[in-house]
Amino acid sequence: MLRFVVRRMLVMVALLIVISMFTFAMFVLLLPNGNPAALLAGRLATPAEIHLISVRYGFDKPIYIQYIDTMKNIFTGQAYSYQSSFNVLDEIRAGMPATLSLAIGAGLIWLLVSILFGTIAAVRAGKYADRVLTVLSMIGVSMPPFFFGAILIYYVAYKANIIPIGGYVPFSQSVGGWFGHLVAPWITLSILFIGFYSRVLRSSILDSINEDYVRTARAKGLSERQVLIRHSLRNSLIPIISLWGLDFAQVIGGGAILTETVYNLHGVGELARDSIGRLDTITLMEIVILTGIAVVVIGAIVDVLVAYLDPRIRLA
Amino acid sequence: MLLGTAPQSLDPGLDYTTQGSEFNWVVYTGLTTYSHASGAAGGQLIPGLCSALPTISNGGKTYSCTLRKGLVFSNGKPVKASDFAYTVERAIKIPWGGSGSFITPIIAGASQYAAGKAKSISGITTNDATGKITINLTAPYGPFDNVLAFPSLGLIPSGFPMKVEATSPPSGDGPYMITNIVPNQSFTAVRNPHWAAQNIPGIPAGHVTVNVKISSNLQANALAVLNNSADIFDWADTIPGSLLGQIQSQAASRFKMVNLGGSTYYIFLNVTEKPFSSQLAREAVVTGLNQDAMSRLGSGTLEPACYFLPPAVPGHPTAPCPYGTPGLGNLAKAKQLVKQSGMEGQPVTVWSETRSPRQQWMTYYTQFLNQIGFKATQKVIADATYFTTIGQAKSVHPQTGFADWNQDFPNPVDFYGPLLDGNSILPTNNENFGQTNDPYINAQVKKLGSTPTTQLSSVVSQWQALDEYVARKAYVAVFGYQKFPFFASNRLNYGALVFQPIYGWDITSFALK
Repeated sequence: MLRFVVRRMLVMVALLIVISMFTFAMFVLLLPNGNPAALLAGRLATPAEIHLISVRYGFDKPIYIQYIDTMKNIFTGQAYSYQSSFNVLDEIRAGMPATLSLAIGAGLIWLLVSILFGTIAAVRAGKYADRVLTVLSMIGVSMPPFFFGAILIYYVAYKANIIPIGGYVPFSQSVGGWFGHLVAPWITLSILFIGFYSRVLRSSILDSINEDYVRTARAKGLSERQVLIRHSLRNSLIPIISLWGLDFAQVIGGGAILTETVYNLHGVGELARDSIGRLDTITLMEIVILTGIAVVVIGAIVDVLVAYLDPRIRLA
Repeated sequence: MLLGTAPQSLDPGLDYTTQGSEFNWVVYTGLTTYSHASGAAGGQLIPGLCSALPTISNGGKTYSCTLRKGLVFSNGKPVKASDFAYTVERAIKIPWGGSGSFITPIIAGASQYAAGKAKSISGITTNDATGKITINLTAPYGPFDNVLAFPSLGLIPSGFPMKVEATSPPSGDGPYMITNIVPNQSFTAVRNPHWAAQNIPGIPAGHVTVNVKISSNLQANALAVLNNSADIFDWADTIPGSLLGQIQSQAASRFKMVNLGGSTYYIFLNVTEKPFSSQLAREAVVTGLNQDAMSRLGSGTLEPACYFLPPAVPGHPTAPCPYGTPGLGNLAKAKQLVKQSGMEGQPVTVWSETRSPRQQWMTYYTQFLNQIGFKATQKVIADATYFTTIGQAKSVHPQTGFADWNQDFPNPVDFYGPLLDGNSILPTNNENFGQTNDPYINAQVKKLGSTPTTQLSSVVSQWQALDEYVARKAYVAVFGYQKFPFFASNRLNYGALVFQPIYGWDITSFALK
C-alpha cells in the first residue's frame, strides 16, 4: 500500500510539472501578439507603462526564470491575477464552496441514478422499460447544460417560481437556500452523465451475465437478485467507478463551466471561463494545476475502491 | 444589482472600466466632478472637492483651486491638498490605464516621475495649510478640467500602499464607500457616514445600501429583474434579444433603451492602403451600409448615425448626412462608386472581435463588401487581444474592421485626439486604426483641443465643421450610436433614477418606493 501511495505521489508530481509547463507554454509563449505586458497595459498604454508592467511581472526575464517564478508564486499562494490583482488563491477559495457543493451533489445523483437506470435497463433488456430508459439516456447525453439550464431557469424558476433564478447561497448561511439554489444545477449537470453512465453500466452488466463466475454463482443456487447484486453488478461497477472518479475530479477542478455559468454559481469553472476570456494566464494555470491535483488524488482513491471491488486487481 | 461583467478593480488606482467607474465616481470624488443628472445636464462639470472649478492661467497651462474646508475621508481622516499629489503619483506607479494618455504627457514633471527620474511630480504644488493645489501642464490641454474628474484622480489618503489593493481599496471622499469585496462575486456600496456633514453641493448623499452581484448569465439577470427578485440590470450589459420584447411589454414602466450619446460604433478604413486609399471606395462603404440590418443584428441597440461625434459630445453636427439618411443604404450606388474608384476586385481583410454582436456586424460587413465588388474575408481575433493586435500599425497594418469609442469625458478632443489626429499614429497601441493623417484635421485638433472645457461653447461650430468634413471625406464609416438598457425592479422609484451620461446608473439616485 505504501509503495502504491509513494508511486502515485511521484506520478502526481511529474504530471503536475508537465501540465504546468504545457499551460505556461500555451499562454505565455503562444499568446497572440506576444507581449503580455502590452495586453495588460490596455489600449492607451505608452511604451513606458508597458515596460513598467513588464518589469513588475517579470516578463522581461528569461522564459525559464518566468516559469520558476510563476510556479513559486502559485505554490506559495502569492500569485495575483494579472487583470484584477486579486490573489488567485483567494479567488479559488471564494469559488470552491459552490464548486464542491455542485460536484458532490451532482456526483452522488449521477452515480446513484445511473446505477439504478443501468441495472433496470440490463435486467429488462429488450423490454419496454429498457427502451424507455434508452431513449431517456440519449436525450440526457445530447442535452447541452446551457440549453437545459436555460429551460429550467425560464420555466421552473421564472414562470413557476419554484426555484431561485440562479446564484449561490453558502451552506453556512442557509441550508434551505443552499439546497434551493443547487437543485437545478445538480439536475442539469447530472443528466448529461446519467445518460452516458447508465448505457455503459447496462452494457457491462449484459456482458458479465455470460461470464463463468456468474454461471458458477447460479450453479451454486443463488437467487437472481443475489447473482445480480453480489457478482454481476459488483464487477460491472468497476468501469463506472473509474469514470466517476475522473469526471468528479474534473468538476472539482472547474470542469462544469457551462453549468456554473448558466446558474451564476461563481464557482471555479466560472473563474476558469473568465480567465480564458481575459487571457489571465496565472489564474488559469493555478486552476489547471488544481484540476491536475484533483484528478490524480481522486484517481488514487478510485484505484483503492476498484481494488476493493475486484480483489484480482492488485494495488502494487 | 446585477453586473454581467466584474469591474477590473474597485481600487481606483487601477480601474479603467465602465463597471468600475460606475461605482468609483461616487466613492472617489475628484477636484471636479459631474452633475448628478440625466441627459445632457449630466455632462456638466461641477466643483468636486475644490470649492470652485479650477482657475486657468498661464495661457491654459496652469490650473489651480482650493479644497473645501472640513473634508474628511470615509475613514474619518482629514483630506489634505498633498493627498492629490500622492493620488496622481500612485495612479502613475500602478499604473492606471488612462495615465499614459491623461497624466504623464500632460502634467509637467509626470513623465520624469514615471521614468523614475524624479521623486515627485514637479508640476504639482500643494499647500496643506491653505488647501491650495496648483497643477502646471506641459502644454495647454483643454479638457484638463475633465481629467481632474476621473475617479482614478479622486483623492485617497497619502501613504496608502503604492500597489493595487483589490479587496481593500483605499478610503475616498464620496457619498459611498465599498465594502465586503468577494473576488469576482460580489461587493457592497454603503453610504459614507461622513459625507452628509461635508455639505458638498450637487452631490447627493444617496439613499440605500447597494448589494452588487457579478452574474455573467445576462438571460438570468434580465429575468431576475423582470420578476423583481433583483433590482437593477447593469446598463453596460445587453438585454438578450430573446427577452427584449417580453421586457418591453411586461415592464414598460421600468425599462427603456437610452442613447447616452457618448459612444460611437464605426468601421475604420485604412487610408494608406488600397482600396480605401480611394475616397470613392470609402464613400461606397458609407453609402451602401444597411444600418437597419446592423441594428437588427444588435437586438435594436444601435441608433443609426453618420457623424463621428455622438450627440452628447459638443460639436456633434446637426446638418443632414452627406451620403444620405442612414438606414437601408443604397447598394446600387455603392456598387457604382466601387466601379468608379477602379478598386473593384481588390482583396479586403475585415478585422473583428469574437463577441456578439460585433462579430455578426463584421460578418454582415464582409458580405456587404463582397456584394459591392470587393473580395473580402473576415479575420476574427480574441476579444482580449483585438485592439492591441489591430493597434500594431506597422506590423499588422489592418485594412478595415470594427472599432468603437466611449467618451472618457464630453469633449470632442477625446475622440479626435487619439482616433483621427495624424500625430497620434503609433507603431504599437495605435488607436488611429485608419491611419488618417489629414493636415486639416491635425491643425484643427491642435487649435481647438486647447480650448478649456468650460469655454467649449465658443468653438462648437468649428468642431461641427470638422466633424462634417470627416463625414464628407468618409474617413470612417460610422454605423451607429449605442443605446443602453435602463431596467429596474418594481421596488425602485424608477421616475427618480438618474441615467448619468458618463457613468450610467447614478447609485445615489437609487431609492425604494
